[in-house]
Amino acid sequence: MTESRTNAATSRRVADEYAAVRESLPAGVVSRERRQEAIEALAARGLPTTRDENWRYTNLRPLEKARFAPAAADLPQPSGFGLPAKLDGFARYVFVDGVFAEQLSSPERQTGLTVRSPQRGRPLPVLDSLPEARLALLNEAFATDTATIQVTGATGEPARVELIFIALAGADAGTSYPRVQVSLEPASRLVLVERHVSAGAGANFVNCAVNVEVGRGAHLTHYRLQQAGARATWIDTLSAVLAADARYGLLAVNTGALSARSTTHVQMAGAGAELTLSVAALGDRQQVQDNFALVEHIAPRARTEQSFRGIASGRARVAFNGKIAVREAASGTDSRQSLRGLLAGPEAEIDVRPQLEIYTDEVRCSHGATAGKLDDDMLFYLLSRGLSPEVAQRLLKWAFLEDVVSRIELPALRRQIEHDLAGQMADAASLKELL
Amino acid sequence: MLKIEDLHVRVDGKEILKGLTLTVPTGEVHAVMGPNGSGKSTLANVLAGRPGYEITAGCVTFQGRDLLALAPQERAREGVFLGFQYPVEIPGVNNVYLLKAAVNAARKHRGLEEVDAFEFLTLVKEKMRLMRMEDSMLSRGVNEGFSGGEKKRNEILQMLVLEPRLAILDETDSGLDIDALKIVAHGVNTLRSPERSLVLVTHYQRLLDHIVPDHVHVLVKGRIARSGDKSLALELERRGYDWVTGEAA
Repeated sequence: MTESRTNAATSRRVADEYAAVRESLPAGVVSRERRQEAIEALAARGLPTTRDENWRYTNLRPLEKARFAPAAADLPQPSGFGLPAKLDGFARYVFVDGVFAEQLSSPERQTGLTVRSPQRGRPLPVLDSLPEARLALLNEAFATDTATIQVTGATGEPARVELIFIALAGADAGTSYPRVQVSLEPASRLVLVERHVSAGAGANFVNCAVNVEVGRGAHLTHYRLQQAGARATWIDTLSAVLAADARYGLLAVNTGALSARSTTHVQMAGAGAELTLSVAALGDRQQVQDNFALVEHIAPRARTEQSFRGIASGRARVAFNGKIAVREAASGTDSRQSLRGLLAGPEAEIDVRPQLEIYTDEVRCSHGATAGKLDDDMLFYLLSRGLSPEVAQRLLKWAFLEDVVSRIELPALRRQIEHDLAGQMADAASLKELL
Repeated sequence: MLKIEDLHVRVDGKEILKGLTLTVPTGEVHAVMGPNGSGKSTLANVLAGRPGYEITAGCVTFQGRDLLALAPQERAREGVFLGFQYPVEIPGVNNVYLLKAAVNAARKHRGLEEVDAFEFLTLVKEKMRLMRMEDSMLSRGVNEGFSGGEKKRNEILQMLVLEPRLAILDETDSGLDIDALKIVAHGVNTLRSPERSLVLVTHYQRLLDHIVPDHVHVLVKGRIARSGDKSLALELERRGYDWVTGEAA
């Protein structure tokens, strides 16, 4: 079957599956009207295909077989999961297959912080109209719950929240729909850790939608860790809007899933907003790690720093397509892009693509993109000191990711991530000893 | 310790070493001097096992073993150390981690246990004082942001910590001011011992004022053109390489 016919068949199936379950979907999470709108919008736009420029590197095949109705969360006992160690001072909220799991959570009262669930989240305020964000429409239509985080007022210390999304059901049992709404009121501060993991070895199908609003002068530090299971398909759409003088530090580490696609859309809507977007992605075996990031400079004097470090080993494909658009009114924009890919296997694939669209004068935009192999001189230097080729290579891969990992300001989280990365790169203990 | 016989080496199809023969007995310091392009760095790199060098004839034995049959990391673990002419910067790989990994690789090779972390750090800091290096350099990336002189001192630091049986120092003096040269030379001298051999590859005589060699060899067009004691270096300094190249031609 051709891709377009398959695509049409999948679109029909989305509509049918929606019709079958719509009565049971919680109206408190997304209203019936909004859900219907989302289904219609998706039907009008169609599902993406790999012929679409910004979906070229995505593995869209899992959509053909996916069951779009939400997985019925069968809440297990807390002991059923090896949850990561709790981070000190963080309120923890756990969701299983997109539904709040109170017994796994450890809420904590913090000044100015409101975290709401189950099923009382408000609708996402902006239905992102970006074509690249269209898979979030599936989340909009089928959502089962929302983690709604609201931070008010200027307090000395930032609020601290950790969200853990566990995918449990296999794809044949339905999709897991993590959904997050983050709002920072003017001058407020939040450190948010968002993790995505799988329980068991099931082939989960996850479709995540995150909406972020950073108010005037507010400051959000957001760590996103995609550690889904080895057979999982993970689709993700994050939309963020920054008000004047807002600061948003978004750092993503993507190591999990068999096929992952992450779409990030940030709008610099207020003058003087600042964004640091850092992504590290690791692919091995048959993994596909596809990332698309669009940063739109709408207001003047905003700054963006975008970094990507990706490593592809085995037969993996790791892609980062980073676009910065500077609109007419965005004079004084300062943007920097540093995208680097490392090819660590003869059958692996790396695609890094910086794109720049500028519609105004008086901007400073720089970009650098490289894709290459391990440096032979560095490798020989390490061998000449007695290190084995395996350890030397691992060490250089490690060093390559450091540019991103070193930006993690929470020591405990950084150690957890370093262990995860070390584990991803090898089981040998020789590298872990440096942690 | 080291025996090189009739060594022929090509790089990119061009013959650089053309029948080099050199013996370095245990406990001796040999200087290999020569004009640019004579094959000095090729010799150093071939001994350390750098890829890209095609050995077309000859043999090299190290403590009675065929050195050329060993992979670079095996040579290092057996006690061969190359001090690089241009040490690479490896941002993200911590200096102290590399030192420890290197020491442990050699210890494992000899069937010894891993080094105790505390004792190791104490030892490294002591050697760093000898090389007049700040402790803070330990936590930086390998040679990351180091000046030329700092990189060379770091090479010697690694050598002091690894305690090789055979050290080959490739133009360790290049790019050093006189103070740094003295520090580097002092570091090298502390390692001189009856069990250890050193090969100093250098263009200039000045290093040999501070590390006095037992023998001096002049490499011209891929062969040892002349050998002598330390006075040969002084004569070279006075008369220039033309003196030997003229004879060799």
